[in-house]
Amino acid sequence: MIPTTLRRSLIFLLLLLSVGSIFFASASGSVSMGWQEWFTAIQDSGSRHGELIWRLRLPRAMAAWVVGSMLAMSGCLMQVLLRNPLADPYVLGVSGGAAFATLLGMVFGIAVAYLPWLAILGALVSILIVFGLARGAGPWSGTRLLLTGVVTASGWAALISLILSLSPDNSLRGMLFWLMGDLSYATLPLWSLVVLGGSFILTLGLARSLNVLAMGETTARLLGEPTRHMLWLVYLLASVLTATAVSIAGSIGFVGLIVPHLMRLLVGSDHRILIPAATLFGGLFLVLSDTLARTVLSPQQLPVGVVTAILGVPLFLLLLNRAKLKGV
Amino acid sequence: MQAKLVCESLDVSIGGKTICSKLDLELAPGQFWGLLGPNGIGKTTLLKCMAGLAAPDAGDVLLENQAIDNLPRRAIARLLGMLQQHTVYVFDASVLETALTGRHPHLGYWEREGPQDKQKALDAIRAVDLEGFEGRSVTGLSGGEARRLAFASLIVQEPAILLLDEPTNHLDMKHQVRIMNHVEMQTKKQQHSAMIALHDVNLAARYCSHILMLFGDGDWQAGPATELLNMKNLERLYQCPVESIQTSTGMRFLPGG
Repeated sequence: MIPTTLRRSLIFLLLLLSVGSIFFASASGSVSMGWQEWFTAIQDSGSRHGELIWRLRLPRAMAAWVVGSMLAMSGCLMQVLLRNPLADPYVLGVSGGAAFATLLGMVFGIAVAYLPWLAILGALVSILIVFGLARGAGPWSGTRLLLTGVVTASGWAALISLILSLSPDNSLRGMLFWLMGDLSYATLPLWSLVVLGGSFILTLGLARSLNVLAMGETTARLLGEPTRHMLWLVYLLASVLTATAVSIAGSIGFVGLIVPHLMRLLVGSDHRILIPAATLFGGLFLVLSDTLARTVLSPQQLPVGVVTAILGVPLFLLLLNRAKLKGV
Repeated sequence: MQAKLVCESLDVSIGGKTICSKLDLELAPGQFWGLLGPNGIGKTTLLKCMAGLAAPDAGDVLLENQAIDNLPRRAIARLLGMLQQHTVYVFDASVLETALTGRHPHLGYWEREGPQDKQKALDAIRAVDLEGFEGRSVTGLSGGEARRLAFASLIVQEPAILLLDEPTNHLDMKHQVRIMNHVEMQTKKQQHSAMIALHDVNLAARYCSHILMLFGDGDWQAGPATELLNMKNLERLYQCPVESIQTSTGMRFLPGG
């Protein structure tokens, strides 16, 4: 962990790096340009390079940032909700529902522009199934929610495999890319920014409650939290964030699991600092991963989910190992 | 601040087994109650009922003359605090941060802990003898240290009514006495009230002003400690022979032959 006094500076640094990473992403790609070229191009959106920056690269970089920060925030929320450090945004089946609906749309040849709406629809159906079944009549039960969610998720996984096995070879590639997470066709609808901003403010307002909820349901109730309502609110917040992220870019793995833990190792478990840190770093991390995915083997593009894992896994293991050595 | 907790003809059971029937009890300011009973008799469930965490089969728990299940948790938490039997910390946090969670019910939505709150937390950490541990991670604490930290959070919460579920578990004699002294001071000086589930009859004899005994099958007895703590009652309670000795601070009890 870094000292308390430096934690605020870290937030500021992450904010700067986030903005920087988006500009960096707009300058790199299969058509390379130097900083001078980039600087003239960005001022003239009509030029060939300018159009490339304004129409393709900047929207994609910003979509990556928004998706990354949503997944990181959702991961933080899910880990508190299930009181389980292994929880990620996809564990309760939200992405499974979205993926099933999207692949079904692809099979029936629905236009690409409508696929995000199908993803949202699928995610909502999944949220309602899990919410409805896990709610039951009894008191809140994290185990029941986890089991309902995990079983629903495996149900979706089976349906997805079914679609994949029945689909013609020429559409398989697109489907697999979507499943691994892909920002190639990502657009950034205005409402997703509203979702991100709204959830961020709400989550930050709940941050002290999240600290208490992380100590267990009974402890939280004894400290004055109406836990039943709070936990459902956390579930819905995390689900809406995940659904929005998945509708933009498919199920990009590892961001929602690893970023919250990386930030816990750096700033500790106080959600008042963890939430902003994870949100900013999630965005930054995905912008850089996506830039790598576009450029490493360019003009060939890699699925960004592969890059997040290749980058995230060693980084996480390294930090975890160092933290252990220092006896934290 | 003072507050009153009342049980009115309370029926509590767990898994079909009656813990107490028609329990009438008033936890009045300044009283220090000991809750005695053999293992598995339902002491924890009764305490949970009194904290509004579990529902009784019949009867009411009244906090400041209002049914506890009609009160918002936040209002309850400002008056009543409970130390649970087990303390498990899953996520990493520092000892100081964890002690500060006791301020949670007293702070507004966007409010942060101020210097006063921090001072309260530091005082509580000192009171449970965890000084120097402020920056340590809770996941690395020993059983006894985690227990004392949980008690420190409870001190920071400043409830007028304390429910303690075997607070002296995992603690050596020095720290047992320290915690019991602290509760005794709260009840005597601040007129707070406490109910404490214990297995150590002699700690109860040394500190408690009142005793509630649970015999099983719903039988109970409540009253001043000096009246209830005798060989006859204890032999019935624990189903084993008991001997007593007179000490300078009152009667003490030993397993008999």
